[in-house]
Amino acid sequence: MTPILLTVIQGAVILALAPFATGLVRWCKARLQGRHGASPLLPYVTYATLLRKEMVISPTVSWVFRLAPYAVLASTALVALLLPLTSVDGALSASGDFIVVAGLLALGAVFLVLGGLDPGSAFGGMGASREMTLVALVEPSIIAVFAAFAVTSGSGTVAKMLSVTGMGLLRHPGLLLSLIAFVFVALSENARYPVDNPATHLELTMVHEAMVLEYSGPYLAMLEYASSLKLTLFAILFANIIIPMPLMTVDSGVSAMLMIIASTVFKLCAAMGLLALLESSMAKMRFYRMQEYMTIAFLTALAGLILALA
Amino acid sequence: MQLSLIQAGLTACLVATFIAFPLAFLLRKGLLRRLSNGFLVIGTGIGALSAMASMTLKTGAVPLLPVIASFGVTFRLTPLAAPFFVVVNLVACIAAIYAMRYVDENRDAYDVPSLHGVTALFIFGMQATLLATSALGFMVSWEIMSLSSFTLVMADRSTASRKAAMLYFVMAHLGALSLMAGFLLLAAGNPLADFAALAANARTMPLREATLAFAFFFVGFGSKAGLVPLHTWLPEAHPQAPSHVSALMSGVMLKVAVYGFILCAFLIIPSLPAAAALTVMGIGLISAVFGALHAAVDTDIKRTLAWSSVENLGLIFLMLGTSLYARGQGLHALAAVAFAAALFHCIAHAIFKSGLFLSAGAIAHAVHTRSLERMGGLAKRMPTFSGAFLVLALAGAALPPFAGFIGEWMYLSGLVASLHGIAPATQAVLVLALVGTAFTAGIAVFAMVKLFSISQLGASRSAAAEAAHEPNDAIRLPVIVLAALAALTGAFASQILGVLGLGSLIMNGTMSSETIVTGRGTSLSPLVLALAVFGTLLLSLIAKRFLSRPSKERVYQTWNCGQPINAHMEYTATAFSAPIRFFFRNLVGVRKTVVTIPTTKGNSFLLKREMLLTGRSFWESHVHEPISRGFHGLGNWARRVQSGSIQLYLLFILVALAATLCIAI
Repeated sequence: MTPILLTVIQGAVILALAPFATGLVRWCKARLQGRHGASPLLPYVTYATLLRKEMVISPTVSWVFRLAPYAVLASTALVALLLPLTSVDGALSASGDFIVVAGLLALGAVFLVLGGLDPGSAFGGMGASREMTLVALVEPSIIAVFAAFAVTSGSGTVAKMLSVTGMGLLRHPGLLLSLIAFVFVALSENARYPVDNPATHLELTMVHEAMVLEYSGPYLAMLEYASSLKLTLFAILFANIIIPMPLMTVDSGVSAMLMIIASTVFKLCAAMGLLALLESSMAKMRFYRMQEYMTIAFLTALAGLILALA
Repeated sequence: MQLSLIQAGLTACLVATFIAFPLAFLLRKGLLRRLSNGFLVIGTGIGALSAMASMTLKTGAVPLLPVIASFGVTFRLTPLAAPFFVVVNLVACIAAIYAMRYVDENRDAYDVPSLHGVTALFIFGMQATLLATSALGFMVSWEIMSLSSFTLVMADRSTASRKAAMLYFVMAHLGALSLMAGFLLLAAGNPLADFAALAANARTMPLREATLAFAFFFVGFGSKAGLVPLHTWLPEAHPQAPSHVSALMSGVMLKVAVYGFILCAFLIIPSLPAAAALTVMGIGLISAVFGALHAAVDTDIKRTLAWSSVENLGLIFLMLGTSLYARGQGLHALAAVAFAAALFHCIAHAIFKSGLFLSAGAIAHAVHTRSLERMGGLAKRMPTFSGAFLVLALAGAALPPFAGFIGEWMYLSGLVASLHGIAPATQAVLVLALVGTAFTAGIAVFAMVKLFSISQLGASRSAAAEAAHEPNDAIRLPVIVLAALAALTGAFASQILGVLGLGSLIMNGTMSSETIVTGRGTSLSPLVLALAVFGTLLLSLIAKRFLSRPSKERVYQTWNCGQPINAHMEYTATAFSAPIRFFFRNLVGVRKTVVTIPTTKGNSFLLKREMLLTGRSFWESHVHEPISRGFHGLGNWARRVQSGSIQLYLLFILVALAATLCIAI
């Protein structure tokens, strides 16, 4: 298979699975909390419905409000193409340097924040200010986590970092700390517990929801889809680090492709189950205690990096 | 042939810029008053082109025509100075175009001829500093630059400006004295010595003396570049100057200081102890963190930008310090990457920061205030302009694929690439630089988002912002050009690094400029990145068009729990930065005091509350104030000498005489 084809397949698989991830984690949480729960496939219907709905646009907004959904979706989709999710030899994986990935994630967050501030509501401002703070504070942790993997694997691109995963983690036990820090980063980036409550609409607690409050119709669908996509790619990347299952290369055939797609679905289910378990067993932290969370994340990542250097 | 053309171009550039200075005073009326501006624009334009030609043709050092060299102080364009000369002239040219209309629109506040004239002199000072090849030539040009910018800071003749200018004057001259001491130490007292002689002297000098000279240079250039603890003048002086001068000061003058530092620390002084390199790194990192935090919490549009300059210059010095340190430790690849990153970040910062200051000038002119709290809603009223402003802010936030990202990317990947298999102490230093840079980068994103969103988005917070409209083309175009440059510099970073020829500049290593960006031999290309970002953006536009039916839109007010909404309910700059202010309250030193005033007698529940935020930074309260108190105390104590009694004065004379005689004998 050609590198371009690999990237296209990865993009198609991840884009197709993204709404399922969001639906699945909601369903698992409902089950864990003793509720029946909506079908995991509901988000597909929700997004399709939103795409056909009328939009309500505030008279306050400028062109930035209209650009934001595209920029958020595009930057997240680009990260999905850069990372080694179903294949390691993709056309863009050589550009999947971890600093570029961190920069693109920040770019998406910035546009989300700009979109949140444009309607001029206090809710949007509140969410925007909080989100921007989280993005700013999580930056050193992201760099330190990936730097540890880069040092042990000898490469700055995330695709090559996967060479030290699976059993390789046991040879470099320091990376387990980096992995824990990665979970901290992933929870913060995806607005999950204990950083944010994805189900709330209470002004005291919401971060992500506050920013998308003024969006409706197709724009809302794009933003929600982008956050599903982000959740999916973090979950699969996490699973790829732990589970040493081979990914697609230029030598793989069609049967290997089907195997790997099936295993990707399995990884996603496992990761979402774990996330639901985690979210059902802990409370959300107060926003003004986020410095503690971020400090722990950073120190864990730093410890991982230092052990990786030793 | 080409060489003599470049020579003629450089000479014409200097002559035209210098002539623009008296012309502004002589021709004040009618269309002739534009002649000075014209000379400046054409002169700096030719200068930028000539230096670019010198770089692409790799001509080596280019001497000027003997018109100017007759002073005995020679001027030459060296390969190191060439990129800086391009940046200075390019930004000066764009700023000069902007200035014509901008100054006319603000002619009540400024004395127009002298503002144009002194700006030309200021630009001339920077050009000459970059071309000087002797200590004397350098110091004279440096002083022209400092003194002219000092008068420019107080161009609007307000009390605040005069205060800021005096602070700048003191700091600039502390720095200049320190530089003078450094040069005299290296030149063994001969101020006419050229840099080659200085370098020769430095090679034979004991290490202790060379380090002392380096310390003098670091203090001198550091105070000009706004490094802590000598940064206090920068966030005061840069915002007070007219916006095109702020753009020149922040965007370009600071780079002249970086040039001077590179010249002295890398070319003249052969080797330095690791402690010196570590000091540069440490001061750079502290400046970066401190500048970023202040940029995040400040509510004045131009002061935010000035703090961001402190941050960026801190990063540049961190990169340069890392390069020095790595050279000493034998890590030649890192030394080359860090140096390249510093140089690239200089270029990127010059472009986006001058663009941001020019934008701030246009905004402040439209809204009649520099306070972010009275802006808002400008993106709707000036869409084209705000698009350019957004690109510049994203470049300033060091986000891909814009110019600001590349330098940090190179630096961080260079650090990570060198971490493996080196001494633990060196690893510790590099890890600290790594996470420090990452932290600064995060806070810088916050600062730039605050700057853009509070000024451009939401509802207008004042009547003036409500009435704002798209700025005049003469003001808008320079900003758009700089925004385009910020995007293009990011996309074509590899090509620019190739033209800079960093491999052959200073480093004798084997690293070519192409592998510098690539870090570890992978094929990361900024151009591919830029194409990928805009490609996916285009794809998402197409996808939306196909997937959603051309939907109807309804206009309805922003949701506010069913109540009518107004601009007072929006988040302000103060509110937006509250989390950062809270989390880092010990570093930014902002105190919140709530004043409670009872409104009704006899009812203790009806109260009016006022909140005051007072900012006193750590450096002011713990470094500058103790020093100034010390000097005040010393002065008060010394005043006792002046008791007014003749007998005591006679006694002093006698004691002085006796002491002199004792020493003489």
